[in-house]
This record gives sequence, structure tokens and C-alpha cells, in this order.
Amino acid sequence: MKSDMGLIVKTMARATIPLIGIFGAYVVSHGHLTPGGGFQGGATIAGAGVLFIIAFGVGEAKKRINKSLYSALEGLGGLVFLGVAMLGLSVAFFYNTLWHNGPIFNGKPGTLLSAGYLPIMNLAVGLKVYTGLMSAVFAIALFRRWRK
Amino acid sequence: MRKTFGALSLLFILGILLLIANPNYGLKFGLGGEDWQKYRYTDQYYIDHGIEETGGTNIVTDIVFDYRGYDTLGEATVLFTSIAGAVALLRKWREENEE
Repeated sequence: MKSDMGLIVKTMARATIPLIGIFGAYVVSHGHLTPGGGFQGGATIAGAGVLFIIAFGVGEAKKRINKSLYSALEGLGGLVFLGVAMLGLSVAFFYNTLWHNGPIFNGKPGTLLSAGYLPIMNLAVGLKVYTGLMSAVFAIALFRRWRK
Repeated sequence: MRKTFGALSLLFILGILLLIANPNYGLKFGLGGEDWQKYRYTDQYYIDHGIEETGGTNIVTDIVFDYRGYDTLGEATVLFTSIAGAVALLRKWREENEE
């Protein structure tokens, strides 16, 4: 059985998937400045992945998506989140030491390289949400209860 | 006939609920108005001190990742656990690779 869609849907998906991905990356990377953040941006990028699976079919996605890499990246995102939270452990857990007296990410409020660990946490959570949602959706897409 | 009566009764119940929940003369659940402002000083604190203490201009991100970091950590753990459970329950990868 063919699992991919027609030519029109494929062309539209080719055009829109990069735009959705760029918008999600913007939401993640500007999470400390504009509305949005790691969760929302990661879910947006995962929407692009779901569009890829729907438009091009599970067979094509199985060739492109390395699921062990995705599982590893999800664990890495969670570990980066926890590790960055432990940076200020000399004062307290979740103490923003990069912002108060850190070497990097302590620019003026409102610039991209400011707000201490907030951008790093946004990136980590965005990576975690994207890879986690993609693994879950991919597992559901591959699931077959009946035998052919 | 019966459907019309059901829809009309739903509308009637909605009107009564709107009448009850009116903040001016309806039922009052707990504090309200000026009294409530006294107990919600944390909102104003975040708006006033969030930028200098955390550095981010998005106050929601300041609260979620800095002031209430433990909550976000638990949320990330819940997400990880649920996705691990979903993948472990639904996967057929090994069998599909062999066929």
C-alpha cells in the first residue's frame, strides 16, 4: 500500500517545511526576548516533522529519520537542562550565575546574548521536545496491530 | 421537537450560569476586587524585578525557567517518561527491520 500523498501535497510540503522549521528555530532561540520558548518552538518544529511523515509516507521517513539518534538527543537535552541548572550550585539550585557574574550571556537585557542560562535552557528544552515528540509520533506511525 | 427543547434548556441553563457568575451581584468565590490585589503581590514583583534579576525580557520565560525552575524540571521529567512509555509500548522496529 502506498503511504505517501500526491504531487500537490508533496510540493507544498517541500515549500512549507523549511519555513516552519525556521519559524520554530526563531521561537526557540528568541525564547527569552519574545513570546514563546523551548516547549512552543520545539512543538512547532515537530509539526514540520509530522508534515514530512504525512506527506512523504512512513517508508521515506524510515530512511531519513535515525531513531536511535533521536532518542540519544532527547536524553542529551534533558541532561543539558539539568547540568545548566546545576551551574549555580554554589549558591542554590537554579541560581542564574551566568547572568549575575558569568563570562558569557550577560549582555544588556533585550539583546540575544543575555539572560544567563535562559537561552541555553531554551535550546535544550526545544531539542528535547522536538526529538521526543518526533519519536512518539514516529512510533505511533510505525505501529501496526494487524498482520498483513 | 425534542432536540429543540434540549437546545432551549441548554440556553436557559447557560443564562442562569451567567447570572450566577456575574462579578457585580452574583455569587462570590473567595476574595475579590481590592482584597485580592493585596494577596497577588508576586505578579507585580515579577514585573518589577524580573529583568534585573533574570535578564530576560520575556517574563513568562523568567518565571518558568528561573523562579519556578523546579516545576519545569518536573515537567520535563513527565514528558521524558511519557514519551519513553509510548515508544516502549508501541515500537515494532525490531520486527520490521527483520522482515
